[in-house]
Amino acid sequence: MMIAVEGVSLTRGDFSFAGISLQVPESSYAVLMGPSGAGKTLLLESIGGFLQVTGGRILVGGRDVTMLPPEKRGIGFMYQDYSLFPHLTVEENIAYGLKMKGISSRERTSTVNTLLSSFSLQPLAQRHTGSLSGGEKQRVALARALATRPSALLLDEPFAALDPEARLSCMDEVKALQREHGLTILQVSHDRDEAYRLADQVMVMDKGRILQAGTPAAVFSCPVHPTIAALAGFENMLEGISGAASEGGRTLLSIGTTGIIAEGAVPAGERILACIRSRDIMLAGADISRSEQVNRIEGQVISMVATDHGCQVRFAGPFPLLIDIPGNWSSWEYRPGERVVALVDPEDVHLIRLSKRPGEEGNVP
Amino acid sequence: MARTAAGRGSLMSSPEHRLRKKYWSSGNSLAAFWIPGMILVGIIALALLVIAVPVFQNPGYLAGAASDPMVFQAFFVTFLAGFCAVGILAITGTPLAYALSRSDTPWKGIVETLVDIPLVLPHTVAGLMVYLLFMSRGLLGAPFGGIGLTFEDAFPGIVAAMVFVAIPYYVNAVREGFGRVPVQLENVARSLGASRARAFITVSLPLTTRHILYGALLAWGRAIGEFAAVIMIAYFPVVISTLIYYRFNTGGIAESQAIAFILILLCLVLFFVFRFLTRRAGVYDDRS
Repeated sequence: MMIAVEGVSLTRGDFSFAGISLQVPESSYAVLMGPSGAGKTLLLESIGGFLQVTGGRILVGGRDVTMLPPEKRGIGFMYQDYSLFPHLTVEENIAYGLKMKGISSRERTSTVNTLLSSFSLQPLAQRHTGSLSGGEKQRVALARALATRPSALLLDEPFAALDPEARLSCMDEVKALQREHGLTILQVSHDRDEAYRLADQVMVMDKGRILQAGTPAAVFSCPVHPTIAALAGFENMLEGISGAASEGGRTLLSIGTTGIIAEGAVPAGERILACIRSRDIMLAGADISRSEQVNRIEGQVISMVATDHGCQVRFAGPFPLLIDIPGNWSSWEYRPGERVVALVDPEDVHLIRLSKRPGEEGNVP
Repeated sequence: MARTAAGRGSLMSSPEHRLRKKYWSSGNSLAAFWIPGMILVGIIALALLVIAVPVFQNPGYLAGAASDPMVFQAFFVTFLAGFCAVGILAITGTPLAYALSRSDTPWKGIVETLVDIPLVLPHTVAGLMVYLLFMSRGLLGAPFGGIGLTFEDAFPGIVAAMVFVAIPYYVNAVREGFGRVPVQLENVARSLGASRARAFITVSLPLTTRHILYGALLAWGRAIGEFAAVIMIAYFPVVISTLIYYRFNTGGIAESQAIAFILILLCLVLFFVFRFLTRRAGVYDDRS
């Protein structure tokens, strides 16, 4: 069922959010992202009914659940640590919700057995949860949440506690479950890969506000706010002032004592954030010939660190840059201290208009 | 035998033993912590000895005390009143401890301070408060008297005094237990269809078992040991602390020592049995 949050406000200690609205269409998977302290978990707990909102409405399948206690909302909830009941066995954990809803013992046993079987938990049925692995715990938590056939599922960073291998397979399992059962899922995440793999829709939240919503590709390729750009993997963010736009729809940004040309027209004299991914910058020797097609930034290699895909270079020029170089770094021809040129295609420079008033940043078409 | 001794000798000089000795002598020993701590343990052991040794030197007093109906009755009254006090605390103190652990009301600090009051009061002051509250003309004593429940020189008076002095011991122990149960567990229980009350009964309460039992033990121990507060409201029926004091004044040290020895012995047995029976309570890990 669709989850709709309409102008919801909440105050919790020093933190508050006001007038938050979002929609998760029926049978879709939405991922709520944002930096730590953005209020994601609080929003999720508000939708779950654990926190009393001070304004607005929360609708599940068109039904206003704002004033209903959590047990009457029909929403499943899963925390990062899975919050399995340590005093109950795996079987009892899965049966808990059915027992609370007064399902007969016979029906309960049948449902639990089906879930134990479909989640491959039968060998663990009589075990307490303290000794289970992360992946096993997650399967138990999912089976428990699904046992009561909730209208929607709220997941608070459900993959964060898993090792990388288990994470990928668990994500695939959850996505398959969501498709199979037509579940509506709203999940909190810090991880871009999770959003790409799972989400039909990504919402980015910071300081109690939803900054941008859309498909993962749209949000991460065209962030409208510095926070989203950071989440989207733009490692280099340079603030400058826009000059006059050229005929080709390109803008010259003044950044300190130098300039960068970027794709997109912006009114002159505005504060602009130029966002460049480290993988979109190339390094060349200082003697490379000039070209008007690319930005040429002269500087020096400060340090080099090996990565999975090559090496990461710290570059100091008119402004510092982080540059990812593919390939085997040990065979690379430049060394720390050497003078080099960083080359950036204007199409790889994403512009975000900055405003003096926070929250009014917007991207450049 | 010779072979065992030789084996032991070889073990003592084995590389493993030498390594272990080197490990403990290189600053990893707990001796620096044990030595000052043993001063306290030594004081308790000595105190037990000064009670026990004379009793064994004159076993007649012990036999006399053990067969004295008044001693038996005092023990019965004391232990029963202690159990009643713990029962009342369990029924009223457990919800209070839960409310204190979950609430963020600004009034919480005041309630916590009130709960701790019996902890800091001289026992005679606690006794005076209990007496003034529960005497036949007291704020609570008068209405209870109307329904036939009297506290002055009566069993309920002993229970009331014991409850009063044991409140902080029980409530604080149990509140700490509830504080260790993540609120997320209750949230998940509620998302699965449990009301707040059912989430409390099915999740929070079982997970606090150890703290509840520990709080009950502390409260019971504190309750049966109470003297001043009890005699101010109910000198009779005589509790064991009152009887020891009475025998000390009328029959001398030897008579009171014998009763004290029986009390210590009974408490040790009870504490040991309690700890043995509850050693697995609230432990839910398959690995342990």
